[in-house]
Amino acid sequence: MEAARRLPVDLTVASEQPSTFELARPDALLTLDFHDLDRAVQEARVFDTRFRLDAALGVDDDTVVIATAINRALGRPRNTIESAQAARDKLLQRSLLGSSRVPVPRFGLQMIGKDLETAAQRASFPCVLKPLRLSASRGVIRADTPAEFVAAVARLEAILKSTCDPEDHHALEYLVEDFVPGYEVAVEGLLVAGHLHELAVFDKPDPLNGPFFEETIYVTPSRHPQAEQADLVQCVEAAVHAIGLHEGPIHAELRYNQRGPWLIELAARPIGGRCSAVLRFGDGTISLEEIVLRHAVGMPLPSLERERNAAAVMMIPVPGAGVLEDFTGVDDAKRVPGVEDVVITAHRGETLVPWPEGSRYPGFIFARGEAPELAERAVREAHRRLHFNIRPAS
Amino acid sequence: MGMASDIRITAEPVDAQRCKFLVDRPVSQGVRRFADRGEAAGSPLAEALFALPGVRELIVSGNLITVVKESPEAWQVAGKAVGAAIRQALSADAPPIADRPPATGAARVSDDELYERVNDLFEQQVNPMVARHGGRVELIDVQESIVMLRMSGGCQGCGMASVTLRQGIEGMLNQYLPEVKGIVDITDHMSGTNPYFASAKK
Repeated sequence: MEAARRLPVDLTVASEQPSTFELARPDALLTLDFHDLDRAVQEARVFDTRFRLDAALGVDDDTVVIATAINRALGRPRNTIESAQAARDKLLQRSLLGSSRVPVPRFGLQMIGKDLETAAQRASFPCVLKPLRLSASRGVIRADTPAEFVAAVARLEAILKSTCDPEDHHALEYLVEDFVPGYEVAVEGLLVAGHLHELAVFDKPDPLNGPFFEETIYVTPSRHPQAEQADLVQCVEAAVHAIGLHEGPIHAELRYNQRGPWLIELAARPIGGRCSAVLRFGDGTISLEEIVLRHAVGMPLPSLERERNAAAVMMIPVPGAGVLEDFTGVDDAKRVPGVEDVVITAHRGETLVPWPEGSRYPGFIFARGEAPELAERAVREAHRRLHFNIRPAS
Repeated sequence: MGMASDIRITAEPVDAQRCKFLVDRPVSQGVRRFADRGEAAGSPLAEALFALPGVRELIVSGNLITVVKESPEAWQVAGKAVGAAIRQALSADAPPIADRPPATGAARVSDDELYERVNDLFEQQVNPMVARHGGRVELIDVQESIVMLRMSGGCQGCGMASVTLRQGIEGMLNQYLPEVKGIVDITDHMSGTNPYFASAKK
């Protein structure tokens, strides 16, 4: 919204639950049924007849496909619906990438309640179980033995049965894929007429070896060798072409080991809205959202060169399971040199749920510095100054 | 007004762009907002702050100076230069902030009148709407045609609070009270205990 105000672009925010202001501000707020693609497109068409839409943008995995379908329905095609779906669907994505020889972990599809013992015996260890329908590493569990596999499936079953739509016949499906050792990075990019512009490569300095895969720190620029970074970006480029993406933002998660880069996830959206605050471009005043918005509505693009400073964001780890009674140290954390902001998004009284059952970070820490080491050190020190008081949930 | 080294200033960053500087002595009488370097002319404190790289806007109210910047520099760094400029301006003999220039042209709606109108809009239209999600919006003040408000209940800490603020409340103010120049949310969203929508995951 801030980027739209700055450009300026008239913005309509669509959500699946109605805003209380929708009747008063019908041009600015719109309710769409995110679970029914055809209906959402029809609702957008009706809206377009009253208030012209120039482009639709999805901001998360769930809305990217809808935004793509709306753009096509309005005669402003950017990507095919199939490519957007492939960016959303882990199984379809891996199948397309694998058949295009993009390096992805070896994978197989399983369903809760079917052939568990056989699957556990056949799996190659270590492996990672990934539910098809969940995001943000929720329900993702590593297993090193058949016994761990069986235990992981039991845990996953409980998660899926408590969260998924019972009418979704893919809801209980999960991938079993080889665990890929090596370091992990995230690549942020913008596709313009099929050409990938690298916007940032983020290091993830905390090892993500499981058994669960809660993220912590992203730092940019990457400190990995330039040649390896080039390999990683090339791998992303091959992946976007393999699934047919042509325009718009992409966010990719990759691993790198002695065999080179491995594509772990590719999404046709920018990095999450909170974390994106860490990215600035040109003279340091241009946000990622401004770039994405400019591209969507066909405005000239500014410099896609990231600012000179290094930057880091920490997704604050869930400090434990239970009810957040209180937190302290925010002001002290903000005083750490280099720290720009500390935001606690969990509220007092909220039940905090660690991974793999949970998927929500209690807050975020942002820092900048002349070097990535300094930015990383700043977020770690700020985190050390935060204290969360949690009581067990009754 | 005193030796520069005697002046105590406390910086309270609001976010990466805004920081409040609380000075231990009055800086101005009433409220002055400076939207650009031109408006700062004649007010030594405002001139000094606009001379710093990236400063975009100032609001001076009593002993509180709110600085809005565009530069990416952290407040830990930028704040030192702001503090030095404040100390220097307050150490000089000239008043740091000039009196407000007389209004010219068409009659301007006073802040008091605007307060009444905004308050009516909030009570008659805005609050009945946000009440459906257990929220409330309180008008705190109108200064220089800028509306300061605080959200509570379901709005405080809500994942959609910024949508409510920008797409809802600000849009209604633009529609019904075009005299309003801006809107500042002073809510401590981190202290919300019952937000209607959870915040974004990442």
